[in-house]
Amino acid sequence: MNPDAVEEKQEEGNILVWLTGFGLLMAMIGIFIYVPTERTEGVIQRIMYFHVPCAWLSFFAFFVVFICSILFLWKKDREWDIYAHASAGIGVVFCSLVLITGPIWARPIWGAWWVWDARLTSTLILWLIYVAYLMLRAQSDAGSMRARYAAVLGIVGFLNIPFIHFSVLWWRTFHPQPKVITNEGIGKGMDPSMLATLGLSLFAFTLLYFLLMGERVRQEKLKDEIDRLKREKLYSS
Amino acid sequence: MDNLGFLFAANVCVWGGIVFYVYTLKQRNRALEKDLDLLKETLSKER
Amino acid sequence: MNLFLSQVSAIVWKDFVTELKTRELFSAMFIFALLVILIFIFSVNLSIVKASEVGPGILWVAFLFSGTLGLNRSFVLEKENGCLMGLMLAPADRTAIYFGKLISNLVFLSIMELFILPLFMIFFNIDLIEYLLPLLLVIFLGTLGFCALGTLLSSLASNLKTREIMLPILLYPLLVPIVIGVVRMTGQILAGEPLSGMMNWIGLTASFDIIYIGVSIMTIDHILEE
Repeated sequence: MNPDAVEEKQEEGNILVWLTGFGLLMAMIGIFIYVPTERTEGVIQRIMYFHVPCAWLSFFAFFVVFICSILFLWKKDREWDIYAHASAGIGVVFCSLVLITGPIWARPIWGAWWVWDARLTSTLILWLIYVAYLMLRAQSDAGSMRARYAAVLGIVGFLNIPFIHFSVLWWRTFHPQPKVITNEGIGKGMDPSMLATLGLSLFAFTLLYFLLMGERVRQEKLKDEIDRLKREKLYSS
Repeated sequence: MDNLGFLFAANVCVWGGIVFYVYTLKQRNRALEKDLDLLKETLSKER
Repeated sequence: MNLFLSQVSAIVWKDFVTELKTRELFSAMFIFALLVILIFIFSVNLSIVKASEVGPGILWVAFLFSGTLGLNRSFVLEKENGCLMGLMLAPADRTAIYFGKLISNLVFLSIMELFILPLFMIFFNIDLIEYLLPLLLVIFLGTLGFCALGTLLSSLASNLKTREIMLPILLYPLLVPIVIGVVRMTGQILAGEPLSGMMNWIGLTASFDIIYIGVSIMTIDHILEE
């Protein structure tokens, strides 16, 4: 890569950093100052404005893992493997945040930290699948084997999502337990200001995803480069 | 309904989590870059 | 097609002969399933809980746990003396290896389940004879799904250093939908409901089976590749 291109890339990165920072700041202002307090749930409802974007981000990240896994098995290009790995890591981090903020919201609203409700359960299972994915990557040595195995798991895991969704949904609809879920606040009766704040927050988090992806991908590439140099040194001496 | 404590806790978790993640990422990248530079330097010296 | 079938049957036959000679896998799976059922009986107070309510769950946990033993064995056995290499060098399709392993796992597990069912009937005082046909169908659907995904992941895990640990960690979260489905169906069958009342669950498990067999066919080439 010539120095000009490097500089240009850095410039792009900087723009993304500033845009993401600005977006997150605007979202914060929206969440804490602009948006009116919800009537039935009170201030705690404000959690929703970053709970939902976190969930969106993690699902999006897992979708990217799926696509990159397919592309890897097809093209056998290390690039796709890096993208899948990076995206899975980010997805797990944000899925964890969803699983943490969910109970914090549920405690005052439902009166219980955890309810075996459909959406909570499927998020937890999803988290487990992708933690297993990362463990598989950590357990095997770098190389084509790890990439292929991880790609297979990335495909199998994502295809599992519809099954998890329906099974957990039917599992709970036979026990009509948490009626509260209906007033979660994502209904049609949402105030435009709330919708705008949520949209802004979603946008900012999506930018954050790309920013993190860039960093994560760079990390993997640096590791590869170091590996390559070391190997070169080993064989030359 | 006053649930400011819960709201605060959730915020600390989310933003703390994100900041921590970004921080560790940056730290790791910086360390790797340093390693890479060192490696390149020693390699070029030997030549 | 004929060639493919003969390749598959050769692999299945090989597994059976090995098992008949050594007899190590089947007895271990059976005793382990029995132990799981016993431990659950001790940990659940059957005088408080209705046996027909906890029974299906316990039965399936026993099946899955002992099935995992079988899965762990199926590819590790091949690994041990480089047999997998031999299998891959043989002029057989990778898909044939997968299907051979799938069928032998399925048959072993099914035989083990047939032995466990009467014991389950005695321990829990549930009359299974009445509902035998729908029950067998549900058990078949569940076991097929378990083996389809399990064979794929065990072929994958057998190349890892920590294979015995990684297989359940990889497999169990993916099995959640099918476990919920079969436990629910078994419970409903034991409660005397007809099969027609749970078509959605049957559809879910059947499509799980089909999709995962399909995915395995498409991806097994990438796993069994040296």
